[in-house]
Amino acid sequence: MRTIILGVGNQILGDDGVGIHIANELKKKINNPNITIDDAITGGMNLLDLLLGYDKAIIVDAVKTNEGENGEVKRIPLGAFSTMHSCNPHDVSLIEAIEMAKKMGEDRIPKEIIIIGVLMKEIPCEFGEKLSKEIAAAVPKAVDMTLKEIKKDLKISS
Amino acid sequence: MKTITIDPITRLEGHGKINIFLDGKGDVDNAYLQIPELRGFERFAQGRRAEDMPQITSRICGVCPVAHHFAATKALDAAFNVDPPSAAKKLRELMYMGYYIYDHTLHFYYLGGPDFVVGPDAPPAKRNVLGVIEKAGVEIGKEVIKHRAYGQKITAILGGKATHPVCGLPGGVSKGLNKEEVKEIDKMVKSCIDFAKFSLKLFDDIVLKNKTYVDLILSDPYQLNTYNMGLVDKNNKANFYDGKIRVTDQKGKEHVKFDVKDYYKNIVERVEEWTYIKFPYLKNVGWNGFKDGKDSGIYRVGPLGRLNAAEGMATPLADKEYKRFYETLGGKSVNSTLAFHWARLIELLYATERAQELINDPEITSEKIRNPVGEPGEGMGVTEAARGTLIHHYKLDKKGLIDKANLIVATTNNSGAINMSIRNAAKGIIKKGKVNDGLLNMVEMAFRAYDPCFACATHTLPGGMPLEVNIYDSEKKLFKKLRQNL
Repeated sequence: MRTIILGVGNQILGDDGVGIHIANELKKKINNPNITIDDAITGGMNLLDLLLGYDKAIIVDAVKTNEGENGEVKRIPLGAFSTMHSCNPHDVSLIEAIEMAKKMGEDRIPKEIIIIGVLMKEIPCEFGEKLSKEIAAAVPKAVDMTLKEIKKDLKISS
Repeated sequence: MKTITIDPITRLEGHGKINIFLDGKGDVDNAYLQIPELRGFERFAQGRRAEDMPQITSRICGVCPVAHHFAATKALDAAFNVDPPSAAKKLRELMYMGYYIYDHTLHFYYLGGPDFVVGPDAPPAKRNVLGVIEKAGVEIGKEVIKHRAYGQKITAILGGKATHPVCGLPGGVSKGLNKEEVKEIDKMVKSCIDFAKFSLKLFDDIVLKNKTYVDLILSDPYQLNTYNMGLVDKNNKANFYDGKIRVTDQKGKEHVKFDVKDYYKNIVERVEEWTYIKFPYLKNVGWNGFKDGKDSGIYRVGPLGRLNAAEGMATPLADKEYKRFYETLGGKSVNSTLAFHWARLIELLYATERAQELINDPEITSEKIRNPVGEPGEGMGVTEAARGTLIHHYKLDKKGLIDKANLIVATTNNSGAINMSIRNAAKGIIKKGKVNDGLLNMVEMAFRAYDPCFACATHTLPGGMPLEVNIYDSEKKLFKKLRQNL
């Protein structure tokens, strides 16, 4: 089973880059030829391109929401989103991209796509490379949750 | 006064909000688009190594990484007082054409097109790319995916990652092309030319042969008589990668033409208290409020701005389409906001033809792709981002570190015009306070045509498309609220 872990976000936009920070931590902890860890500052169609060919995809990203606590980490199956979107005015949502790809007969879409989301009330609009205190505290939690997700799969496949 | 707020704008995400103010009769008095602007770039850039700017600025916006990459690289050419070898310029331009191919394809088929192909009154659930495929057929969907991917592939071959290019260096590029790569690109480009021709035919069949749509394009609410701006070559043909900035007036006559190094002599950025977005205008005309016409310095950029600011396209097929565009829509300038979509497809055709010229140029495999840099100083660079003129300006210290940085991005250049387009569309469409989803979409269409990019490269994953409509009474008290996914 081939898995991709994709940290998504923009590392020059403060907390928005949390997914990349998490991916960087995971790179230090995971050494498995069947697991690819990468980062991406993109969404929608481009994001789907990066996932194609893997059995499972774990997307680690910031989630802007008014629910929950700032810095809370949640595991969310992709199907739980009715219309998910990257905050990008020039692209479609990942769900839309997947629906379209399926219609076109694309058969390399991962069977399982999981989001590890770091909840935040606001997405910063100011350039900077540092995470805020609350969001930085979420990084080890998200790393643990991702590792658990992988271990679960390893058990099943062994 | 009643206020209607559409928040955020569907499909154009990035926490945009449109406020429409109604008068006592329920007609539109004024409208404002409020969008978040990323702040603090100058401070962020200060003290960084100048040669890192092409990489850093390509992360400003998840939409236009290639445009920022080369605007920064060209500003550094100027700041280090170096002229890249001709092969390097051709490689950069070829990569730029790849960017236009995927960007314009994406916009027409996924974002702007659904309004026309599926219809402006269709329910929102149908007004998307899936609706387009349903109407145009699965085979066309496959072609769209294929050619968008070709554009990305061309960009990636030349620039490293398509979404994060690394090839631009002051004085040239870091990587050339080998014969195998030339063959691969050539094959993709040939297919892209056919795809661009097909797209124009599709536009012809679905939009231009439908009188309702042509009437809509030419209808009053979508007219805006501003100045137009775009890069042109020495023959005043539109150019995406290089040239002089040319501004034409409402009738298509040249108003001013200047080098990017003189941008601050020609462009002033106005600040309004209700938004962080600045509103650039022509200095020698002046600011006259959110008005169009000869006495208002507001101008438009992007596909329509570029076509209006030029005297033709530099490739044969695109030039033929250019002429047909003006013949069909009543001569210069075309001031209909919805004509942006057609203009975009003409540019798609130009990008593919220009890519073919470049890939067939024997110099494209040259190994002379970089010239040594001089002493650090000050430099400005300009490119045409898919959505309009993009200017980078850097002042370096003696060690080659950034001392001052200023950017004018494409959507900022269009911000005054976008505001007016929204207001005019709202005025023509919303009468006596009557608002429904179809009507709101007509307002959205007005600014979606610009393909704006809200300096927002964030990638959040909320649990549904949030939409909020607030209606306030004359005392600004909320009396009606419609919302979804919030």
